[in-house]
Amino acid sequence: MPVVRLEQLLMKRESKSYIDSLYAILTAAHLFNGTKHRLAGLTGMAFKFTVHEQLLPLSVTAYGQWINEHRPAIENVGLFTVMDGGRTRHPTFRHYQQKAVQAAKDSLDEGIGAIYWIPEFGVIDGYDDEDRVFFVQDGWSGDRQVVLYDNFGLNFTEFWYCQLFGEKVIVSDEAMLLESLRLAIYDWDTPYKTLPNKDIASGKLAYDFLIHALHKGGYDENGAVYILDSYFHSRKEICAYLREARGIWPELDDASVLYEQLAASIPDMEGSIAETNGRRQIDRSLIEELIGGLTAAQSLEDRAVDLFRAISRAYPDPKRSVVPRWGAHTPK
Amino acid sequence: MAVILADLKMTIESNSYIDAMHAVLTRKRWFSFPKPMLAGMTASAFRFTVSRRLTAESPVAYNWIAENFLAADFIGVAAWSGAGFYFDATFPLYKRDAIAQIKGAIDGGIGAILWNNRFVIAAGYDDEREALWISNGEADELVLLPYVDFGRNASPYWYYQVFENRIALDHLEICRESLMQAVHKWETHDPMLPEADYACGRSAYDAILAALHSGDYDRSGISAVIRSYAAAKRDISRYFAALETYWPELRTAVEHYKSLEAAFDEAERLAGSADQQLIPLFAAARQSEEMAIATIKTFMRETIDIRRHDIALR
Repeated sequence: MPVVRLEQLLMKRESKSYIDSLYAILTAAHLFNGTKHRLAGLTGMAFKFTVHEQLLPLSVTAYGQWINEHRPAIENVGLFTVMDGGRTRHPTFRHYQQKAVQAAKDSLDEGIGAIYWIPEFGVIDGYDDEDRVFFVQDGWSGDRQVVLYDNFGLNFTEFWYCQLFGEKVIVSDEAMLLESLRLAIYDWDTPYKTLPNKDIASGKLAYDFLIHALHKGGYDENGAVYILDSYFHSRKEICAYLREARGIWPELDDASVLYEQLAASIPDMEGSIAETNGRRQIDRSLIEELIGGLTAAQSLEDRAVDLFRAISRAYPDPKRSVVPRWGAHTPK
Repeated sequence: MAVILADLKMTIESNSYIDAMHAVLTRKRWFSFPKPMLAGMTASAFRFTVSRRLTAESPVAYNWIAENFLAADFIGVAAWSGAGFYFDATFPLYKRDAIAQIKGAIDGGIGAILWNNRFVIAAGYDDEREALWISNGEADELVLLPYVDFGRNASPYWYYQVFENRIALDHLEICRESLMQAVHKWETHDPMLPEADYACGRSAYDAILAALHSGDYDRSGISAVIRSYAAAKRDISRYFAALETYWPELRTAVEHYKSLEAAFDEAERLAGSADQQLIPLFAAARQSEEMAIATIKTFMRETIDIRRHDIALR
């Protein structure tokens, strides 16, 4: 009975859980060599910003229908990927579950880990056929959790998700950079990514949801801190990503400066989160300063995205010149 | 290796994906009802989308990945599919995988569906000739599609779907769900399509009428669009004749769908030669369909109430 452990694979929570998982898997398999912020930038994942009206913690991962969001992300780094997921209550789930179990084992046999919704996203780095279990990292501690084959995909949310990776084609740096800006524009402009629900906003509107909830109060305290932490981190990622991309397009250099300004305002905003009794939460006495910082940041990003648009317009965009036959849909 | 699945042949009747799906599933004995039942049970026939200029692509302007997955899922068939633009950098990787998936299905004794300027089926393959054997409903015999040509279509899309398994579901529950989806499709715009260019369900009638009034539409497209939807309305009408035998409460809907079918048959005859006469026909068709849906909504009111926040969500 085979046992497989990918010892070199180590996930560390820093970014969005999806990027942390992806980075761990791709670097261990030598499918990506670069920094995590570069991966977050190229995939467009750093730009994703979604906020639930009550600032629930799920805001951070509810940036759309995952398969539709992650496909263009992985496409942009030239990788073949296989993803599956859905609602565990559907009668066909057992079939897809058993297929995914086999596919994940096959991938591990090839030395490549799998992304798995725990929740949040984590990494499957091994299996043991005798015990019929997978080993899963969540990136918070070095420990592995076990997931029984028979419980694969089952968790307290209604969703399951698993993603595998294969071969790679080489895409030019400039093409990847340009497409990542277009992914950023899409996220900024799309108000709702999980229609028909309108309780979670994306991009520019996500700022409005965040600011409105902070004004109004009565929001989820832990969620607010998690949203802000994730937001601060991703804006630092974007800042670092664009700094390294300077010298190609003047507009992008300007956008990079705007993100430098945004990043410079983060320490003050971070100061509005205080630790009391071992629990971090927003200091209500500093909320107006925080709102002021976020309002300024929204405006900076809006100007940066307009610069992205100027770059995008200068090049043909075949992917967005015809209506696709996949993508946005209402899940059933 | 060369394999051909005997007696796997697609016939163009529903003028849609359903023709391909029915051929594959019935040969595998995963579906045993007539084709209009499949068109209804999968909710496919209820899709009614037009581009505002009534271009010929209207009936296939939908989310193939999501909707064709659901078509299978609604009837308890597990499916796997892939799609993309053939100009994408990774296409060579996905193409190789797609050919492998299609051949794998055929080795397992079941045909596969793919896009080859329409939905067609792969009924075999020949590795020596490096080609798939395709039944497209137009040619009587199978035709060869070289592996290298997979995905090279007039429009930039590649697509395939294979069926993997069948999970037994309660027949009446399948039919009830199709009624929910029928209401959803009538009332909801497809989020994949820009609303400025496309209209769905009830709004599709408004778009057709607006185009006919203004004269700003594709003169050859309109005939293709009407031909395709006339087939769908015909399928719905037959599907409801069967549903009435389970649920006599649906009798009124059956009457309205019969009128709808007749209106579309007449429209199909007139399209291209007497387009102005189509205006009263489509106005009447819209009314028939509205009343049919109203009957369905009364019949399904409890489920609709439970799912009020998102009636399509199972």
